[in-house]
Amino acid sequence: MLKAKRKLGVVFFPAYDWAISATHPERQERLLYTQDQLREEGLFDIPGVTEYKPELASWLDVDRAHFCFPDVESVATQSHCVSAGGAIRAAKLVMEREADRAFALIRPPGHHAMKVVHGSRGFCNINIEAVMIEWVREHYGRKRVAIVDTDCHHGDGTQDIYWHDPDTLFISLHQDGRTLYPGTGFPMEAGGPRALGRTINVPLPPGTSDEGFLHVIDNLVLPILSDFKPDLIVNSAGQDNHFSDPITDMNFSARGYAVLSERLGPHLAVLEGGYAIQGALPYVNLGIALALAGLDYSHVREPGFDPDKCRQSAKITEYIKEITPQIADFYFDPPKTPKTGRFEGETYIREKEIHYDTDNIHEDQTETLHLCGDCPGLLVIESRSTVNPPCLGVEIPALACPRCHDLGLRAFEEAQIKSGYRHVQLINRKDKEYQRFLV
Amino acid sequence: MLLGIDVGGTHTDAVLLDLGGIVATRKVKTDHADLLGSIAAVLEGVLASVDPAKVLRLNLSTTLSTNAIVEGKSEPVGVFVSCGPGIDPEYYRVGGHYFLIGGAVDHRGTALEDVNEAALCAAVEKCRADGVRVFASVGKFSTRNPEHEEAILEKVHPLADFVTSGRRVSGQLGFHRRINTAYFNSSVWRLFNRFADAVQRCVASHGLRCQVNILKADGGAMPLSVSRRAPVESILSGPAASVMGIIAICDIDLDSVILDIGGTTTDIAVFADGAPLIAQTGISISGKPTLVRAFKTRSIGIGGDSAIAVEGGLVTAGPQRYGPSMADGGEVPTLIDAFNVQNIIAYGDTMASYSGISELAMESGLDPETLADYAIGYAANRIREETALLIREINEKPVYTIFELLEGKFVRPAKVYVMGGPARAFATVLREAFSLPVLVPENHAVANAAGAALARATVDVELFADTQKGRMFIPGLGVERAVPPSYSLDQARAEAVDNLRDYLGAIETEDPDLPVDILEESVFNMIEDSRLAGRSIRVKCQVKPGVAEAYKRGIKRQC
Repeated sequence: MLKAKRKLGVVFFPAYDWAISATHPERQERLLYTQDQLREEGLFDIPGVTEYKPELASWLDVDRAHFCFPDVESVATQSHCVSAGGAIRAAKLVMEREADRAFALIRPPGHHAMKVVHGSRGFCNINIEAVMIEWVREHYGRKRVAIVDTDCHHGDGTQDIYWHDPDTLFISLHQDGRTLYPGTGFPMEAGGPRALGRTINVPLPPGTSDEGFLHVIDNLVLPILSDFKPDLIVNSAGQDNHFSDPITDMNFSARGYAVLSERLGPHLAVLEGGYAIQGALPYVNLGIALALAGLDYSHVREPGFDPDKCRQSAKITEYIKEITPQIADFYFDPPKTPKTGRFEGETYIREKEIHYDTDNIHEDQTETLHLCGDCPGLLVIESRSTVNPPCLGVEIPALACPRCHDLGLRAFEEAQIKSGYRHVQLINRKDKEYQRFLV
Repeated sequence: MLLGIDVGGTHTDAVLLDLGGIVATRKVKTDHADLLGSIAAVLEGVLASVDPAKVLRLNLSTTLSTNAIVEGKSEPVGVFVSCGPGIDPEYYRVGGHYFLIGGAVDHRGTALEDVNEAALCAAVEKCRADGVRVFASVGKFSTRNPEHEEAILEKVHPLADFVTSGRRVSGQLGFHRRINTAYFNSSVWRLFNRFADAVQRCVASHGLRCQVNILKADGGAMPLSVSRRAPVESILSGPAASVMGIIAICDIDLDSVILDIGGTTTDIAVFADGAPLIAQTGISISGKPTLVRAFKTRSIGIGGDSAIAVEGGLVTAGPQRYGPSMADGGEVPTLIDAFNVQNIIAYGDTMASYSGISELAMESGLDPETLADYAIGYAANRIREETALLIREINEKPVYTIFELLEGKFVRPAKVYVMGGPARAFATVLREAFSLPVLVPENHAVANAAGAALARATVDVELFADTQKGRMFIPGLGVERAVPPSYSLDQARAEAVDNLRDYLGAIETEDPDLPVDILEESVFNMIEDSRLAGRSIRVKCQVKPGVAEAYKRGIKRQC
């Protein structure tokens, strides 16, 4: 008799009436065959496994995590709000102890969406994990969160959002940026001056198979997690590392994903990419769901899986063994200063150029963190893009000291009166106030 | 005239109706050792003064298959399972002759792996040696490609009196449920067919030459000839008869809750848009989920004979039932006794009720009226809570499009209908608990049999087409054909409806123009290398449960 060892809530939302375009990989039927497989397997008949429907994330929920210019409505459709709402629903299940684990099997994805949003990049508009995590923090207090991103593409959006946050550990395993979009995610990208070692990037060579991924999980991810002691572990469960994925070059299997999920044991798994919708997703999703629920997944095997053909080369094995301890050091013994950006007086400044490939937008950004001795510091971002006039975002952290709090409010006011900014947004986590001003 | 017989757990009821209303009714105690005897007794009763030739139809609701399954008195079945990757099919083992014979079909119906001939032959030999005569042939995704079920069928055929093919029990997905449904169907096949033979002889000996139908759990009627191949469809039709009863005597247009209160349990059903809601998947029997279509219901252990108890100062009722109420000569005070004490009813030996409740009240330091009041209040609240959970579950039903999520319909009950023996006793307190109009329809005593008598055919059909593969399937009806690449959703919809109507014609329903609802329809482009490779088309349609309208006029009541 099958019975879940851990209560699993699955928020399944395939958004059958939404796509970027008719032939885009991120389209209506992406989860169709997954749905068929889960129904035929009777996943939701298993005692302890329950299906839930998503909520609709509000604009306020999005405003907590992002500077959306000119506003949320212009950059995110209702489908994005449903997807983020699906993640929120999953988090609520776990936070309210209705489930031990939750799997948000939702689309569209979000991990390429950065702090500032002018449009869609890498099929992502808003970062659904970040919207979810900030929702959790708003309602359940300041949680220590670890995000383990196992999508094949570097989770550059999530990295950008949590770059300065020492309470959020972001670990990304992905195909080496020299060979795949978005071209980032190298080990020296280790976080801002106040959160060095809280961003950990593990670029893996094309052709990496189960062995390589699991080596990194066992020898890097798990030791770091046991040191960081997060309140919540979130897995950005992209499935495009699969050997049959049409847009990547890795050799991961459905079985491998299930083992990874079991060892990682995330409270929340959120679907990201994965575009082998017939040959991989139905099996990978089933494997992840079974593993999260503590159920036997030993018979989950996708068609065409030949362990010998998929096995990574000895060279790859050796390379991964070599880099794993070096990368782990970025957490255990982080560099003293960030490799990028510059210090100017009491501030740390990053200049960024961001390309939105899906919407073909270019953005130039100046991000300023006020280095305060008493709090995480005020964050101010100036943004200029090809679709919007100059914009300004001001974020007062939840733990802001009175000085940074005043500084932030003043910056928001001044920007409205005497500056060249068109759109000004304030994220005031201290007072839970979110404001937007059109100059 | 139409005749309805409801073989219930306690009583067997028969109702004879004509266009003007009820002509005759008859009630006897059900003899579980001799169901046919009970049927013959009520038949004789209602036909005593009527010309049997005028009876156009007999609808029968029977517990035969249910009891056989629940009591484990069914026949051993050789279950042959072609499984493929996924959850280990060993978990779905059922009965003593369960064989995994390899083979794999994927979600699109592509055969990935052949069945294992050697394993198949060995399993057949084992069944031959053990004298197994009925079989179930079940494949994962067999609704998308039947070839492995066919291969099994061919091998077991020489040995078999009967084989259930998994895809014929339903077009729905659900491998575990398909296995259970096929298993149960074969396990009661022989027993049911003997019963059907006896019913036919019995009916003929009473001079009836009408069509005989069997009631299903979704409130539909199926001809006896059809039920001989699908006896599993007759399980748990009892609650369905009572829901059909309420449809027969009331016009329900608002979202409503139906409470059928019996001696031990209360069955809760929900109406939306004037029709009872059908469960998304299927009914469970003996703790095993099946694909048998049924009303969405919830059953709780609160009934007229629920025992009252006091624990830690808290007065409760049910789920235990130790026998009849003290008013009926029982030993333990029940809700009926509480109603007697509160003067809501005056049933049976009211003095016995009073002394029983008094004794319990004394032990717990309450006065008898208060104890009775608390017990009744507890029962009403339990019913209200469980109803709220059922409504919540219905409204939380997952949806898969943004449109449905934003525009989806919510069920908000505006009325409560109460049926069953203790219905009148409960009405007042339920009115307070629900803050909604509560109605107790007249004639509810014979409503079940009347509902059975008037039930018309129901059927649901799922069509699945893959234009890249050039195939179309309607698994429940065994329809399969080649389709051109241009095959469209419009064609699929028309074809599904046509096949459903053909089926209704084949089973000789008297009303071939029954309304067909399209429940779901979708078309997805299949893209390969950024080019359109084909379409995946799905259509699900049904004939909803309903009653013979012409006869309804005669028994309809204000409600």
